[in-house]
Amino acid sequence: MHISSDIGIWIAALGTIAIFSFLYRENPVFRFAEHLLVGVSAGYYLVQYAHSGLIKKFWYPLTAGGNYWLVFGALLGAMMFLKLNRKTRGWGNIPVAFYVATGAGYLIPSVMKSMVLLQVGGTIRNPFAAGNSAGDAITTIVIFVGVICTLVYFYFSARRTGVVKHVSRVGMLFLLAGFGATFGYTVMGRITLLIGRFQFLLRDWLGVGI
Amino acid sequence: MFSAQSIAEKLAALDRRIIFLLVGIVVLIPLLVPLDLPVVVSRETRDFHDEIEALSDSAVLMLAIDYEPDTMAELDPMTLGVLRHCFRKGVRVVALSLYAGAPGIAQRLLEKAAGEYGRAYGEDYIYLGYNPDWSGTMLRLGESIKATYPKDQWGTPSVDLPLLKNVDSYDDVDLLVCINGSKYAEFWAAYAQARYGQRMVSGNTAVMSVFIYQYYNTGQISGFLGGIRGAAEYEKMLGLPADGTIAMGSQSCAHVLIVLLIIAGNVGYLLARRAKRKGSI
Repeated sequence: MHISSDIGIWIAALGTIAIFSFLYRENPVFRFAEHLLVGVSAGYYLVQYAHSGLIKKFWYPLTAGGNYWLVFGALLGAMMFLKLNRKTRGWGNIPVAFYVATGAGYLIPSVMKSMVLLQVGGTIRNPFAAGNSAGDAITTIVIFVGVICTLVYFYFSARRTGVVKHVSRVGMLFLLAGFGATFGYTVMGRITLLIGRFQFLLRDWLGVGI
Repeated sequence: MFSAQSIAEKLAALDRRIIFLLVGIVVLIPLLVPLDLPVVVSRETRDFHDEIEALSDSAVLMLAIDYEPDTMAELDPMTLGVLRHCFRKGVRVVALSLYAGAPGIAQRLLEKAAGEYGRAYGEDYIYLGYNPDWSGTMLRLGESIKATYPKDQWGTPSVDLPLLKNVDSYDDVDLLVCINGSKYAEFWAAYAQARYGQRMVSGNTAVMSVFIYQYYNTGQISGFLGGIRGAAEYEKMLGLPADGTIAMGSQSCAHVLIVLLIIAGNVGYLLARRAKRKGSI
């Protein structure tokens, strides 16, 4: 066991323990660590965003590269702040409109293809296509049945009687299975965070060989 | 003799700190006394591994390290695994980030893996750093990497980096790997894969993994790692057991405990309901 002599490791370790102290009860040590985290994060992101956005993407290319057209973008960005004042709020709509229009223009085609069209195609596939194993065929059928039944579950314009009732109930079972899978993965994720902190405390701070 | 009502009352009144303590103990012990549990490799992990394995020695892999310290525990093992896999094979790595909190993580992992395999910065790997406007960056990389990132993380002009001599867009990238703790894998699939046909795989936090199956099923994402389980499986395929493998013992014990707690909670609820019904008759 070789306890770390790195001051940064010590600060992180004590900060971790201070945050963990909340599990016992709310206390001033936890609150101090919480405020420290918020303050450090705010400072870090302010500097990172300012440097990456204003300095690297605007000032350097403008002054060193002579890209004067960037002034147009900077002006549009600055006009966003006009929305803060009631008298100038209307002018602030101009950059918002520009932002929405360009965003929609270059994002919608890709999103439509990837998140709608290809997904619909992925739902309706031939389970008996060449090269498919028995497992692939079953998976394809389950996906198709699951999607149809779940869509019926969310179809509220028909009475829940007869076939609709039974199909929507199957849809609900698929939804529950989905929630269960999400919950299981979430538990795994949260436990991993705890494992990560314990590994840090044991290995990096206390020098336990794990 | 305990009555159903008293058991239910005890379960309902159980101090949550006892549960925290139990979870802490079952996570801690397997870290100190490792359990050698079997790791079964899933198809999506095998595909993830095979995509990188199939790359030639001089291939170029773009690695998007899109996460921040809050998901390091889950995603660091994946990033390290990919870097070790690439450096062992001789695959060249173009790393970048679309999260402001990522550069520190990326630098640490790149230097660690490059040091292990004696890889040189500029020739074998580069780190372009953080770029704001994630969606614009994903799209613009399809036109020009050098225009999107005029300089690397340390201020070296991109045109002076030997690795980028003949590499300037997705056309020159053999595989995109996105390690992320958000929905970025889905957007990489939309902007790099669907738009430019860039082949890609992803490493995801456990919470986000359920959303990746649909992209895997449609072939937009050719393979993926889901949470620490995916990292452990990948380490097994690489033959390089590391943090992912170590974590699986704690993970399994914690899951057993949580299942037992869920059962106890439900039993308590049912007993309380039965006792209440009896009391009301």
